[in-house]
Amino acid sequence: MESEQRYGKLRKMVLVSMILVPLIPFFLTVGIGYYYFTSALEKRTISSTSRIVDDHRHMIEFFLQERKADLEFILRSYDFDYLAQHENLLKVFERLQIKSNAFVDLGVFNQEGVHVVYQGPFKLSGRIYKDEDWFSAVMKKGVYISDIFLGFRRVPHFVIALAKQEGPIKWVIRATIDTYMFNDLVKKVRIETTGEAYLLNKEGILQTERRSGGNILDEDRDFKKYLTKDSEIMTFIRKDYLGVDYFFATTWLKDKEWLLVVRQETKDAFRALRQAGALILMITLVGSGSIIGMAFFLTNRILDRIIKTDTEKDHLEEQLIRASRLAELGEMAAGFAHEINNPLQIIRSEHALVNMILLELTDKGKINAPEEMAELHDSINQIGLQVQRCSEITHSILKFGRKTEATPTDVDLREFIPTVIQMIAGKAGVNGVNIQIDIADDTPPVHGDSGQFQQVLINLLNNALDAIFEKHGVRGGELMITSGPDGKNMVHVSVKDNGCGISNEDQKKIFSPFYTTKPIGKGTGLGLSVCYGIINAMGGSMEVTSEKGIGTTFIVRIPVSVNK
Amino acid sequence: MQLMLVDDEKRFLSTTSKLLAQKGLKVFTANSGEAALDILKQVNIPVVILDVKMPGMDGIATLKEIKRRFPLIEVIMLTGHGTMESAVEGLKSGATDYLAKPVNIDVLISKAKEAFEKTRRLEEKILMAQSIYERRKAVYMRSPKNGLKAI
Repeated sequence: MESEQRYGKLRKMVLVSMILVPLIPFFLTVGIGYYYFTSALEKRTISSTSRIVDDHRHMIEFFLQERKADLEFILRSYDFDYLAQHENLLKVFERLQIKSNAFVDLGVFNQEGVHVVYQGPFKLSGRIYKDEDWFSAVMKKGVYISDIFLGFRRVPHFVIALAKQEGPIKWVIRATIDTYMFNDLVKKVRIETTGEAYLLNKEGILQTERRSGGNILDEDRDFKKYLTKDSEIMTFIRKDYLGVDYFFATTWLKDKEWLLVVRQETKDAFRALRQAGALILMITLVGSGSIIGMAFFLTNRILDRIIKTDTEKDHLEEQLIRASRLAELGEMAAGFAHEINNPLQIIRSEHALVNMILLELTDKGKINAPEEMAELHDSINQIGLQVQRCSEITHSILKFGRKTEATPTDVDLREFIPTVIQMIAGKAGVNGVNIQIDIADDTPPVHGDSGQFQQVLINLLNNALDAIFEKHGVRGGELMITSGPDGKNMVHVSVKDNGCGISNEDQKKIFSPFYTTKPIGKGTGLGLSVCYGIINAMGGSMEVTSEKGIGTTFIVRIPVSVNK
Repeated sequence: MQLMLVDDEKRFLSTTSKLLAQKGLKVFTANSGEAALDILKQVNIPVVILDVKMPGMDGIATLKEIKRRFPLIEVIMLTGHGTMESAVEGLKSGATDYLAKPVNIDVLISKAKEAFEKTRRLEEKILMAQSIYERRKAVYMRSPKNGLKAI
């Protein structure tokens, strides 16, 4: 539970680091890239629109100046008397129209504002214009370009008028400009889908049509929102009265108080910007997704590896503790056995002495109690037997605890195992045990003391035979010995029997010294401990799997000889 | 046949010497290496049974000293520790044989007799050699068993 919490914490920490560490620079890069890219794009859009406005203004101004120059030329070339003749005006008008078809009509006015002659589609001769605004303005300034107005003809138009002083009299020449042509000239700017251009007078009245809606002489309801500054080009973004965002560029014409407006819907003007934004957003999402996905994947891999390593470490520690405990026990037992041997020696000598004295006494006929003597002999023999038993135990302990100098050689298990099995074959035959041997041809040699390894195998085989005998008696025993390569550097030897099996409880203690399940006097409980010690010293391991009543398998794993 | 038992266990010495005496052997006992060397200085004893582990001068040191001073004496090592190491060390230092405690008294006697036979054979060989090369001289030599003897 505690380790689960620890791993949970570790997982969270690794995951957060794995996500944040690459994500922060990633976001910074994308953010900075987005900022520079979009501002460059925005600047480009603004400067290209400004250029369009500038070009367009020059064109309109040029058109008006040219028309003004045409009229100035007539004014300078002819006098009032000449032009007051209808035929003469016709001639002049025709010539004018050849030069520019922008002129709709041409008229001459005397000082009193009377339209003296008129050449054009309307009947305006004789009308008096003295009170008209344009007339007072031209008389005052000498030149006048009107806003668009309806006038007597009730059709929107604008005029260019020039006045000339001839001696005491001042007369005026006036031409009407083709509104449709001028309108087209202004309107013709097209910028992508929604871009449009139009002119406003200083009251905000449309002087040309607006493609997106707005006829000539309509009022522009957004006029007050516009930023303007003389003939400088101003750019800005505003919502129109319908709530649509527009990108505007405005400038005043130089010769006429008309405001040239070029506007484009923001979403249209900055389409590239939006596309770039969408692309960057997509990259960000996909990038973040991959980073997070990868972080999860790697975190799981790392955690799995850590947990595996920890488990292996715990396992190793456990083995190490067990091995050192066994070694300690061995040394302790050896010391103990040594000390016991001295008193045992005395008991044995005393036993021999008692035996000898008794025999002497009996021989000399000093004791005449044959029944008691028989009992006494039996008892003395028992002392001898038990001393012998103690002696065997202490010698086993000493063998277990001693650090013998093994003489390791390369052992070819393919030959070695059958030889060892041969040693117990007789016992197996008597007990009716069927022995199967399966040794892989590619079993590599191992390095160790063959005598010790033989001791291990015989121990395992004898244990197996005992277990089989306990379960089956002398019929139905199966013993299987297999060997072969185990991974790259190990060899396994397993001894499997169908004997009585070992309980889980016993399996835990089976390699501990003095632990035995055999009847008293049958086993010292040191056999498997000794085997364990030998295999351990060879750099190998020993394990047991068993099920009570089914059978047991001992598996020994030993390193392959390096001389292979 | 004479032999000496050297062990720090006094009871072992007394009981075993009684048993061996019963079997017709003349037994000397010493409860330390130093005591054993003292006795050997005074008495000719051909076979010594020596415990390996003793306080003070241990069995191996005693063995080396005996072999240095009296090379013809046969020594049988006796130990409670049945390890190969002490056996090998003892044998390397000139011990005749090796017995692990608790030893059966009959085994002990038979080993002692073997050792005794060995000293006897060696003595005979020495005598033979001396008789060949110094036949004409009247030579006296020291024999562990018989002391000085005229040939």
